[in-house]
Amino acid sequence: MIVTKSWLNEWIDLGGISTDELAKTFNAIGLEVDRIHEYRVPQKILFGKVLECEKHPDADKLNVCKVDIGSSIRQIVCGAANVRAGLDVVVATVGAVMPSGLAIKPVKLRGIDSDGMICSAGEIGLPDLGKGIMELDASMGAYSIGEEVSTNPIFNDDLIEIELTANRGDCLSIRGIARDLSAAFDRPIKEYTITDNDEKRGIGRILSLSHEKDLDVNLRYKAVDLKELTLPLVIRLRLAQIEEKRETDIKSLLSYVTHATGVILRAYDCEFFCKEENKIAKVILDEDKNQFACVEAQDKEMASTIGVSQVSTSKMKKQEGKLFLEASYIPPEIISKKMAEHKIDADSLFYRTSRGSEPELEGGLSYCVDLIESSSSSTTFSGIVEFSTQFREKIVTVKKQEIDEIIGASIDKTVVSKILKNLGFDTSKSSTDGFVINVPQFRHDIVNKQDIVEEIVRMVGIDNIPSKAYTLQEKNQLEDNYFEYKKRSIFRHRAAQSGFFESVHFVFDEKKVLNAYGFETTKEELELLNPIVQTLDTLRPTLLTGLLKAASQNTKNGYSSVKLFEIGSVFTPLREESLKMAFIFSGEKENENLSNAGKPAKIDFGYFTQKISDVVGDLELTQYTTKHKLAHLYQSAQVLHDGEVLGELFRVHPEVEKAYGLDVTYMCELDFSKIAYALKTAKKSSKYQASFRDLSIITPNAISYETIKKVIQSNAVKELIRFYPVDQYSDESLDDNTSLSIRFVLQSDEKTLEEEDITTAMDSILAALQKELGIGLR
Amino acid sequence: MKEWYNKINEAQSVDALEEIRIAVFGKKGILAAEFAKMKTAPNEQKAQIAKDLNNHKTALMNEFTAKKIALQTQELQEAMKAEAIDVSMFSTKSSAGALHPVMETMDRIVEYFSSMNFAVKTGQIVEDDFHNFEALNLPKYHPARDMQDTFYFKDEMLLRTHTSPVQIRTMLESKPPIRMIAPGAVFRRDYDLTHTPMFHQIEGLLVDEEGKVSFANLKFILEDFLKYMFGDVAVRFRPSFFPFTEPSAEVDISCVFCKGEGCRVCSHTGWLEVLGCGIVDQNVFKAVEYKNVSGYAFGLGVERFAMLIHQIGDLRSLFEGDIKLLEQFQ
Repeated sequence: MIVTKSWLNEWIDLGGISTDELAKTFNAIGLEVDRIHEYRVPQKILFGKVLECEKHPDADKLNVCKVDIGSSIRQIVCGAANVRAGLDVVVATVGAVMPSGLAIKPVKLRGIDSDGMICSAGEIGLPDLGKGIMELDASMGAYSIGEEVSTNPIFNDDLIEIELTANRGDCLSIRGIARDLSAAFDRPIKEYTITDNDEKRGIGRILSLSHEKDLDVNLRYKAVDLKELTLPLVIRLRLAQIEEKRETDIKSLLSYVTHATGVILRAYDCEFFCKEENKIAKVILDEDKNQFACVEAQDKEMASTIGVSQVSTSKMKKQEGKLFLEASYIPPEIISKKMAEHKIDADSLFYRTSRGSEPELEGGLSYCVDLIESSSSSTTFSGIVEFSTQFREKIVTVKKQEIDEIIGASIDKTVVSKILKNLGFDTSKSSTDGFVINVPQFRHDIVNKQDIVEEIVRMVGIDNIPSKAYTLQEKNQLEDNYFEYKKRSIFRHRAAQSGFFESVHFVFDEKKVLNAYGFETTKEELELLNPIVQTLDTLRPTLLTGLLKAASQNTKNGYSSVKLFEIGSVFTPLREESLKMAFIFSGEKENENLSNAGKPAKIDFGYFTQKISDVVGDLELTQYTTKHKLAHLYQSAQVLHDGEVLGELFRVHPEVEKAYGLDVTYMCELDFSKIAYALKTAKKSSKYQASFRDLSIITPNAISYETIKKVIQSNAVKELIRFYPVDQYSDESLDDNTSLSIRFVLQSDEKTLEEEDITTAMDSILAALQKELGIGLR
Repeated sequence: MKEWYNKINEAQSVDALEEIRIAVFGKKGILAAEFAKMKTAPNEQKAQIAKDLNNHKTALMNEFTAKKIALQTQELQEAMKAEAIDVSMFSTKSSAGALHPVMETMDRIVEYFSSMNFAVKTGQIVEDDFHNFEALNLPKYHPARDMQDTFYFKDEMLLRTHTSPVQIRTMLESKPPIRMIAPGAVFRRDYDLTHTPMFHQIEGLLVDEEGKVSFANLKFILEDFLKYMFGDVAVRFRPSFFPFTEPSAEVDISCVFCKGEGCRVCSHTGWLEVLGCGIVDQNVFKAVEYKNVSGYAFGLGVERFAMLIHQIGDLRSLFEGDIKLLEQFQ
């Protein structure tokens, strides 16, 4: 909603209030200021009068004018087609510097002296009003020839754009905003009283309104015989300032009045309703097939849907002739609901109707007629034709104590009364008990006591309400969700500490790509209806693809080592949400430095596993084939902890690495809920020293370590507390075998183990390996 | 005897000193030889000779010990000197990773409200119309639905447009008093320089008996919170409109970039909008069948906070796992 100070001044006296103060007040009462623009005409630009105007002897398109600028008469050569003797104009005199930077100097144009410039609106920094120089008229208010234009309030206006909240349809007009300001500044709003003219012909002679049904609308008509309408300069200027430009002058004028008063106005060509001269046009109020209230001609031909749109053929497009002016009102809740049930095409006025247009129709209609009359030689038929509905009164009752409790401060009763009265609320039925408030119809947003409190808060000013701490009732608030949040936070910290950067990706991903890599995406019938772009057209079933893309981009950006992780939501084909934690490690293990001679090794399976383990705890890996196609076929593992499956860990498939432009890359994705996060219990630790023994065995390649591990586990003495592979070796002499060294840690709770005990333990393991797998010492 | 004192003093190394020790104190050393001579000395002189020799022995041993310590120290010094490195070549770049600035900001906000005795509540991302709109006083035809362009699924479910549904679910599951925050990802169908289809919000809710929760309480906690987050800033409340609160306000802080002077970031207003809040609308309580209660609610965008606090210019870069950005938060 755009307002200007001079325009507002027509509805409320803003004398003595600076634009800054005005903006501050707007913000304070909930009308958020979005933009302020100050129009300022430079010095030495004066009001002038064209006394004479003759064609330039040597140039077709130039005119030589004698212009009165008060102190003297200047000769000015002007190229505008509309310049003529008798016009009041704006003249930039010698020495003026135009907003474009152009300095006005005496010049010769085709041999003729020109001592200044007659200006268009655009040239003095105002919005463009089309071709030619600006022709001043009476709408400019009082000015005198020779006066500096910079003193004129219309030309030096301040424009304020307000970002209205959805509930304040009543402020979609200059008058509506003035009404709010009237309460804020405690100044009265100006009302226009318009007396009906003494035209003999009554509207009844040309228009009759009948209705087929009782509908929740208000309609009011005037009939005008339009002749020679010229839009006054101030109207054209303001329409340009609010960026409204309509195809016909009458449409522009209606837009102007609607912007000024908030009343929805339409102009109908009389001929649409009645083709014959001197007959009465029958206008019918009806309901269309979708139960929208509408206006029809006698033959049921639609003229308009009330508050929504007007049929093109019913519009007044002629410059002259009889027209019907219609002011209409339909409650916003009715039209919005109807529109939600059955969406139909709407024009720009629907925005106003749906937010709540001005219900007081006469103010807009008479104001419009008045403007038409003063800007044309039209005649208006006397009287009006109307259809009116009595809408239910809105009464809200609220006690002073309730107001105080919601605000948290005591507000004086007389202050409350005054605010309500200034806002146009009728409180005359109030008792000592509390306020009984009759809400004016234009305040569509006020329905309950909290709405009333909001009005008080707005006008008292939130700054004037002292802050007060809430009295706390102690309660343990550390519940499951908190611990989940904390767990997430702890593992995020651990991952960052282990060298991974946290990344956050959209929960959307590209269906085509995901499916191609073998991921199952959301079922078709549960899929997103309105994705924002094709590359984000489904919910992600994995964090892996997002990390791959990020790693790819970082590699392109020149990072030779990329370590990222993410904890985020993923979705099953049935759209069930769960939390995963995923990692990607691509390229070099570490930074280039002296210790690695500037050539850090590439990430390998063992190193990556260690890194992941540093973050999430001890891991057990088993051979695994992933369901998706991102993994290297022979380097992928299922990840377990305490026998529970956490997720998967793998090297990225070489083809995928290539597709994403990545160096050697490893990834891991874990089910976050399975990652251990519980209080630990300390185990009793032995005070006796542990012993270490290495066994080097020759094992066929076909036997996996997992198998060997199981045999050792099932044959171990209780003193064997840990064992792990420490060396692996193969060469041609070993054929299809590998030499594997396993380190055993033995410890007893009762004594320091003797050499004999250790040997016995190791022998039984060896014997089992020999017996069950045929594996022996190297 | 004198010469041995000199020899000890002039020894160049621990090894050389050891040779002297053997020559002096060894079984075949000069002291042993001198003591042996005593046997042939006249008896009346023996005591004196023994006393002199013992004095020499002690004095030589002292000399020797002192010299040994000196030489050992010197040798250690030299050994260390040989191990000298140019430490300046080892200036390092941390190989630690970093937390995402948005998540880290979220942590800080959660920390504040946890310490103020708010419970942390999370909820589902895929929501239904009732919890996301209807219960929040946003009936189907409400114009304010335009404010939140929504992602819908084919079965009429939707992606939550705010974390408010978590508040509705919490109210339905428990009884007042309620004091909670709901942090999480939310979704709006908007994608340009200043909007991403996913972003993060934290919304807060306090519900207690009627008359116990006021706008003044809301003002108190938000002023304190914003000062905790942004330091010494001015806080301004502007009346505004949200369907779920009444009265409602938007909260601004004085611009952290220009200190309120007016700059590009604050569109020359000197103020930055950071929060929305208000007294919970009775229609919301009606939807969850709460009676005789009062409450306040507030909501904020975490990305906006992160961008203001860390002076991050590009919103979209936050969702790209861009190490150039992330490594600055190491």
